[in-house]
Amino acid sequence: MAELRNMSVTDSRTRSATRRVTAAPDTVISAENLTLGYGSFVAVRDVSLDIPDRKVTAIIGPSGCGKSTLLRAMNRMNDVVPSANVQGRLLYRGLDIYSPRCDSVELRLKIGMVFQRPNPFPKSIYKNVAWAPKINGYRGDMGELVERSLQHAALWDEVKDKLHQCAYALSGGQQQRLCIARAIALQPDVLLMDEPCSALDPIATARIEDLIDELENRYTVVLVTHNMQQAARVSDLTAFMYMGELVEFDATETMFTKPGRQRTQDYITGRFG
Amino acid sequence: MTAHFVNLLETLRRRADRMAGLVEDMVQEACEAAAGADETLARRVIKRDSDVDAEEVEIESEVIRLMALYQPVGSDLRLLCAILKINNDLERVADCAINIAQRARHLDPDAGTRHHAAILEMADAVQRMLRGANQAFAAEDIDAARKTFAVDDRIDARYEQIIQEIVAQGAATPEGMADRLDILSIAKNLERIADHATNIAEDVIFLSTGKIIRHADDDAPQTNE
Repeated sequence: MAELRNMSVTDSRTRSATRRVTAAPDTVISAENLTLGYGSFVAVRDVSLDIPDRKVTAIIGPSGCGKSTLLRAMNRMNDVVPSANVQGRLLYRGLDIYSPRCDSVELRLKIGMVFQRPNPFPKSIYKNVAWAPKINGYRGDMGELVERSLQHAALWDEVKDKLHQCAYALSGGQQQRLCIARAIALQPDVLLMDEPCSALDPIATARIEDLIDELENRYTVVLVTHNMQQAARVSDLTAFMYMGELVEFDATETMFTKPGRQRTQDYITGRFG
Repeated sequence: MTAHFVNLLETLRRRADRMAGLVEDMVQEACEAAAGADETLARRVIKRDSDVDAEEVEIESEVIRLMALYQPVGSDLRLLCAILKINNDLERVADCAINIAQRARHLDPDAGTRHHAAILEMADAVQRMLRGANQAFAAEDIDAARKTFAVDDRIDARYEQIIQEIVAQGAATPEGMADRLDILSIAKNLERIADHATNIAEDVIFLSTGKIIRHADDDAPQTNE
C-alpha cells in the first residue's frame, strides 16, 4: 500500500475523473454521490462534499441524520457491520477508499479516529501511546515519539511524571486527550472525531476544543458534534445533514449567521418540527 | 432553541417597536413645539427623556441576557444585534428631540419666520423618514429600508441650504442672531435624526441579509426612491 503513503491529488487514476479535476487542490477527502446504508435502510443519501486540508470541518444534524455513518465511512469503520453497503465514491487524496486496492488497516494509519467515549487500553499511559507505533514497526526513538504525541495532545505536562501509571487512573478529559495522543502517535493525515466531548464536563470540553484549534495546524480534522455552539467555536467549515442528505456545506461563519437554506436556519435556531 | 426563547425574542421585538413609537412621538411633539414656539409642549418632551433612557437600558439588558443564556445564531442572532443597535439609535434620536424642544422653549415665534417654513419642511421629511425606517424594521422590509437612503441625501442638502441662508442673513442683519442660532441648532438636530434613521435602515438590511452595508459605497445610498 505504498500508494497510501505517497499519494497526491495528481494520481493518474484521479486525473481522469471529472470531479477530481474540478475539486479544490487542497481537498483531502472527497465524497462523490455517496450513498451509505445498512441492508435496505439508507443512512446517507447521495452526498457530495470536499473536506479541505488542514481545516476543521464539523458535521452537524439531528440524531439519525447520517453524520456518524458518514464519518465512520471515512476510515471504513462501517466494514465491521455486515449489512453495511456503499454506493458512489469516497476518495482519500484521490484514492477510492472502498476500492479493492485500499487496505483498511493502512487507511486507518492515515485517517485516525477519536470516539465519543474515551477508550484507553488497560495499560500504562506510555504503552497506550507507544502501542500502535510499535506494532506498526516504528524504528525511531519511541520515548521521543510518546513525549511529542502527548505534548501535541496537550497532556504531557499533566502526565510526564506518571507515564507508567495505568491510563484508567486519568480523568475522563485526560483519557480523551490520551486517545487523541494515541491517534497522533501514528502521525496521521486526518483525525476523525465522533462527538469527542459528549462525555466530558465543560472544563475538559474546553481543553479538547483548545486542542482541536492547535491540531488544525498539523492535521485535517473532521468533527461530528451535536453541540452546535461547539461546531461554531472550533470549525472552519460546517456541513448540515438531515435525514441522510447533505442540506448545506459552507464556511462556519456563514452557516451560523446567514445560512443559505431555510432548513439549516430552522435547525440552528431550534425551529425544527 | 425553545419555544420559550422564541416568545422572549418576540416580546423583545415588540418592546423595541414600542420604543420606536415613543421616540417618534417625542420627535413629532418637539417639531410641533418648535413650529409654534410652544413651551408647554417642549417641557413635556423634555420630561420624557428619563422614560426613554430607562427603556433603552432595559432593552439592552434583555438583549445581553438572551445572548448569554441562549447563545442565539442565524436570524435570531441578527435580530438581537439589530435591536441592540437600533435601541441605541432611538435613544440618540430622543436626545435630538430634547435638544429641539430645549431650543423651542425660548424661540421667539415672530423671529426667524423666514426660516420656519424651511424647518417645518425639513421636520416633516425627517419624521416621515424615521417612521419609514421604524416600519421597515417592524416588517423586515429591505425595499422600505433602502428608500430612506435617498431621503437622507435630500435632508442633508436642505440642511446645507438652511446654513447658507442663515449665514447670509446674519451677515446682512446681525439682529436676531440668538434666534438664528436656535434655528440652526434645530436644523442640525433634525439632520442628526435623519442620520440615525439611516443607521436603523442599514440595520434592517443587516437583519434581512446578514450584510453590513455601512461605509460600503456599492450597496448604500440608493438614488431611486
